[in-house]
Amino acid sequence: MECPHIPIIPYREFSLPVHDKAAARNIPIAGELDLTMRCNLRCLHCYCPQDINKKELTFHEISNILDEITDAGCLWLLITGGEPLMRSDFLDIYTYAKKKGLIITIFTNGTLVTPKIADYLKEWPPFLVEISLYGATQETYEKVTDVPGSYEECLNGIETLLQRKIPLRLKTLVTTLNKHELWMMKRYAEERGLEFRFDALINPRLDGSEKPCRLRISPREVVELDLADSKHHEAWKKLCQELPWGPPRRIDILYTCSRHMWDFHITAYGELQACLMAQEPSFDLRQNPFSKCWPELIREFQALKPEEKNRCRKCELFTLCGPCPAWAQLENGDPNTVVEYTCQIAHLRAEGFRREGFILKGGGKDGKESKKTLQETGSIRGEAYTRGGCVIRLQD
Amino acid sequence: MNLLEKVYKISDSIVFRKIADEFILVPIRNNVSDLESIYTLNEVGARIWEMIDGKRKVKEIKDIIVEEFEVTPKKAEEDLIELLQKLEKIEGIKKV
Repeated sequence: MECPHIPIIPYREFSLPVHDKAAARNIPIAGELDLTMRCNLRCLHCYCPQDINKKELTFHEISNILDEITDAGCLWLLITGGEPLMRSDFLDIYTYAKKKGLIITIFTNGTLVTPKIADYLKEWPPFLVEISLYGATQETYEKVTDVPGSYEECLNGIETLLQRKIPLRLKTLVTTLNKHELWMMKRYAEERGLEFRFDALINPRLDGSEKPCRLRISPREVVELDLADSKHHEAWKKLCQELPWGPPRRIDILYTCSRHMWDFHITAYGELQACLMAQEPSFDLRQNPFSKCWPELIREFQALKPEEKNRCRKCELFTLCGPCPAWAQLENGDPNTVVEYTCQIAHLRAEGFRREGFILKGGGKDGKESKKTLQETGSIRGEAYTRGGCVIRLQD
Repeated sequence: MNLLEKVYKISDSIVFRKIADEFILVPIRNNVSDLESIYTLNEVGARIWEMIDGKRKVKEIKDIIVEEFEVTPKKAEEDLIELLQKLEKIEGIKKV
């Protein structure tokens, strides 16, 4: 921007202190909103169950919720699903959210992006659109999505957004079906000047079904990918240097992550939760306003206590692993149990990181223990709200 | 025409938010000059923003600032005009 007299600071220098202030005051600065659980694809790893007995929020109900969350201080909103573009009123909802002054990220599979939608997003730009790419070839992509023709639709969606210079990032979930094409997918993104990220951790479906877990790559393969990818490698190295290794600092609370102090999740049916996976406690926003439910949610969430049998809280790798009680609930039906898959990954990561010479003990560079755990900082998976760009202070 | 006699209104392409003691301007539409950016204001800037209503003259805004904050009229005028020019440049406000 040609305005040399206005001080410009990097986006993260604005974002991080605002998040810190929000956490200290329990301001719900960021949230996720599922517009629907419906999807036009049938991905074999999908975590979204469809409950035909539940009724999706209407546009009117969503508008009320958007009013309430902005009044409460929400600034960053992730619009997701299901596939959010399945809703015929997507643009109405999006416009309403934009006009509230929300900074919006959209998660989509990209297959339903039309020139009309892309033109609209150019006029009312989102902070970021993130498209999931499931393979670098039609065969692999459609083996994952189980919908013929979806590969071409996805690529068309990407190109349509690219032509209009919509802020875009690609990502993938690595499964046994597409792992051999991971680097091809990365190259595809990079050739187009797009950021790319991947995740290899597959959790059970939100109704507890283990079907998605059948596509998990082995724990050893997960760690090999961590070390093979330069971005993951650097991120883990940095975290290893900054984190105090050992059991959690607080053993009196079940959920040690601090995200729930400033972040929330709203389901397609109007249920307010701490996050996507932690389905209890839950509050019905059709019955009560957000302003009433939010403090209750924090209070009830923090009141959850770990049981004596909880092995994770005594584990030396706790801060590296960041075990999630909600995942344990989905996987084992009990939040105080170990998810063997992620546990194995944590142990293999520790081995691998030692071999790589990452610092494993003592925390920060000067030997002082860092205050933040992996969960508190947000793991390298949680990148929904970060992107380039800048903040301009109009007055100092 | 003297700038102090002018009247500004807020553009509907930018939204003002106050969150956690931060005064933030969020561009929402493509006619704002730089959508890659988010803008912040300090307390005085936020107060000025509140007073830009399409009716008040710049001079009236200046008088209120002088009354509410410890600042000389000269300094208030300089700062106010500088801010208004910046806001106009990013298309956050328009002359009526």
